[in-house]
Amino acid sequence: MKKIIATLVIALCVVGSAMAQDELSFERKQAIDSLALEKVRDLSKYVKIVGSKETSFSEANRVIDRAEELFMSDAEIGVSSLGSNQITYYRVRKYFEHLMRLNYDRVEIEWYNIEYVSDLQRQPDGTYVGVITIFQTFRGYDAEGNMVYKDMTKKDITVYVKRKDTQIGGRTIGFWDVLLGDMRVKETTNR
Amino acid sequence: MRIARNIIILALTFAFVWPVAGQTIGDFKMDETELYAMTKQMGQFMRRFNYEEDQFGYKLNPKDPNYRSNEMRRKSLPILFDQEKYGTQTDLQRYFIEDVTKGDSTYMTFLGGRWYSEVSTTFKYKGKDVKVMLFLAVEKEGLGSKWVLTNVYFSEFNKLFPTGELAEKEKHFLHPMSHELDFMNIYKAFQDPEVIEYYASKDFTPDYLTLFFYEIKQGKLVFQHVDSVKFHVFQIKDWYFEVSWFNRSGLNSGWLMSNVIYMPEKEKTNLIKFYQP
Repeated sequence: MKKIIATLVIALCVVGSAMAQDELSFERKQAIDSLALEKVRDLSKYVKIVGSKETSFSEANRVIDRAEELFMSDAEIGVSSLGSNQITYYRVRKYFEHLMRLNYDRVEIEWYNIEYVSDLQRQPDGTYVGVITIFQTFRGYDAEGNMVYKDMTKKDITVYVKRKDTQIGGRTIGFWDVLLGDMRVKETTNR
Repeated sequence: MRIARNIIILALTFAFVWPVAGQTIGDFKMDETELYAMTKQMGQFMRRFNYEEDQFGYKLNPKDPNYRSNEMRRKSLPILFDQEKYGTQTDLQRYFIEDVTKGDSTYMTFLGGRWYSEVSTTFKYKGKDVKVMLFLAVEKEGLGSKWVLTNVYFSEFNKLFPTGELAEKEKHFLHPMSHELDFMNIYKAFQDPEVIEYYASKDFTPDYLTLFFYEIKQGKLVFQHVDSVKFHVFQIKDWYFEVSWFNRSGLNSGWLMSNVIYMPEKEKTNLIKFYQP
């Protein structure tokens, strides 16, 4: 709850006094980038919780619900491996359920401390679109503790940023609403 | 030789000061240096090309004295070349960098036009997998922009319109008095479908995108998947280059210049027609 309030406060701060700016200032873009990164960090956290074998089924499902809320309703996750150009498409819930069911005794999912945020571009309806790139390593272990699978993936996540209005104390306040969209998951050369 | 080259690449790359960073997880040390060095998005390629972000990937404020600094660009541009093809000190590379960082230097911009995406795809056609190249460009619309299809290359379409022999072409025409005969001779034009286009105006060029849409609408071409993506850039004065994805280890990976050609502006016009007729 605290987090939601904090995010709302940041979002409202981002709005500032300029209500309908077509061109975002450098400082405003930076603030929006921070909002978008916050969502992506939440997503990373949820992937780790759902992927962990120590997470109970009910807890994992609760986290998947939270993860779904980060995304647009029609968002898809396109996954490919080094050996094939074929992209397998998942809806967000299916992707997380697939992650939950992976057949390893123990998994390690870690994120590199690199988050690359693109410039925001406007689409024809005025919504801003950006892409955030992050990197993840995944390791799966068998019952004897041997690592039986490892990969490193680059995740390019679409971010939609839209101005919206809300009523607070009878006043209309604009804020930036940030939602995640399609995510491309591509295996990269093992480093 | 290879070792020497690698040393040069390393020296050059670190001259641009990549942050050497790492995190330790369990027994694993994750080195992030290569990921910093990787040009991770086409947008990052543009920002590095223009020096709109520093070596740590942080966006520079346009008020920053280093923003689009040609001095910094001279240091950062070498890492945007595919070093396995271009090495580190080729004349072409030196000339390119010198030219684009002159006083009247040119920069890449997203909405600046004259850059195209080439998307290699697989479709099903007559029950078989076939390769189709799609060309797209960014077009301004409404409050923003979008990618639009500008052309397509599918070998089956090109086979329909081969470049014929001039002597053969000269045999196929409707004489200038055909109108007086109610075009009774026009049946000849349709006798041999393979050369029907010889009866068209000399200005005729087949519109492959229309053919493509037609085949899709007829259900004869069915999309399967995207195989790869690259970009063709004509935006920079007197230069053409391709930007391709290099998925490899080391400090020279991601979106890099894979084909660089000196091309005076007047020579670009015809080539651009291939991407956007």
